[in-house]
Amino acid sequence: MKQEESEILKGLGKNPGFKVPDNYFEEFNKRMMDSLPEKKVEIIPYKPSLWLRVRPAVYAAATIAGIWCMISVFNHVNGSKTPKIGEIAEQLHQDDNADEVIMNGDMSEYDIITYQDSVMMEMEHQGDQLKKVTE
Amino acid sequence: MRSTYNEEQVIEQLRNANTQRDAFGKVIEHYSSTLYWHIRRMVFDHDDANDVLQNTFIKAWTSIDNFRGDAKLSTWLYKIAINESITFINKQKAANNISLDDDDSFLANTLESDEYFDGDEAQLKLQRAIATLPEKQRVVFNLRYYDEMKYEDMSEILGTSVGALKASYHHALKKIETFFQEND
Repeated sequence: MKQEESEILKGLGKNPGFKVPDNYFEEFNKRMMDSLPEKKVEIIPYKPSLWLRVRPAVYAAATIAGIWCMISVFNHVNGSKTPKIGEIAEQLHQDDNADEVIMNGDMSEYDIITYQDSVMMEMEHQGDQLKKVTE
Repeated sequence: MRSTYNEEQVIEQLRNANTQRDAFGKVIEHYSSTLYWHIRRMVFDHDDANDVLQNTFIKAWTSIDNFRGDAKLSTWLYKIAINESITFINKQKAANNISLDDDDSFLANTLESDEYFDGDEAQLKLQRAIATLPEKQRVVFNLRYYDEMKYEDMSEILGTSVGALKASYHHALKKIETFFQEND
């Protein structure tokens, strides 16, 4: 530091000649604290987005559509006609009718199992939805 | 009597909404004098220094949540104080139709009649010489000469290399010497 200083500055010292009013800093500190603005804490209410609200319904619809598409593809490959899911489900719920459909040979064993699986999945899904609603 | 100041503890308290305000009070108490003298040497007038100091603390308070603690609190406060001082000087220049490229000599013109200046002829001359320096050079000179700050700390505040700061201080000294020789 000493090496950096010039001869002129050596003779002047470090006092710039400034002064402040009496008790300036004590009063400033107090005044400053009094004038500090209050900090506002903003509470933002939770609002789920539209997507979050419709998501369960979209997932349910996509699942059903997916299952139906799979069945359609299987049937197309096997060369058989794709019945409506509702029709199959109705028939499978009536034991007698189900046997009749199978006995008539309208559907292969593979088709029946596939339909049964899809109907069971649909029923489970509907059960879950119902549970959610009742909860 | 001044209470003991523990910077680490204060920084912790500043992060907590319940203790933030009291902790900031400790910051004001601890740094107001240091920052005031730095600002005063930049703007010369006491009332102006008072306003700039107030703005510095208001700005620090409103942005305290952005202080991450990876730099020293003093470094952060010095940065704000320097920016506020330069902003103030530029506004003064605009108000007095002075080009931003001109030096800040106009600030030292009222020193003689200032009731809060009691320096002698030589001290007045030194302040006039300092006022002719470009603002950044003036900041470097004041931090080094009056505050005796290390170049490494200055480098953190000003974001300039130590080498460049040493060169800047050296140039400032030469200009002050030249001013004294020309105004002998």
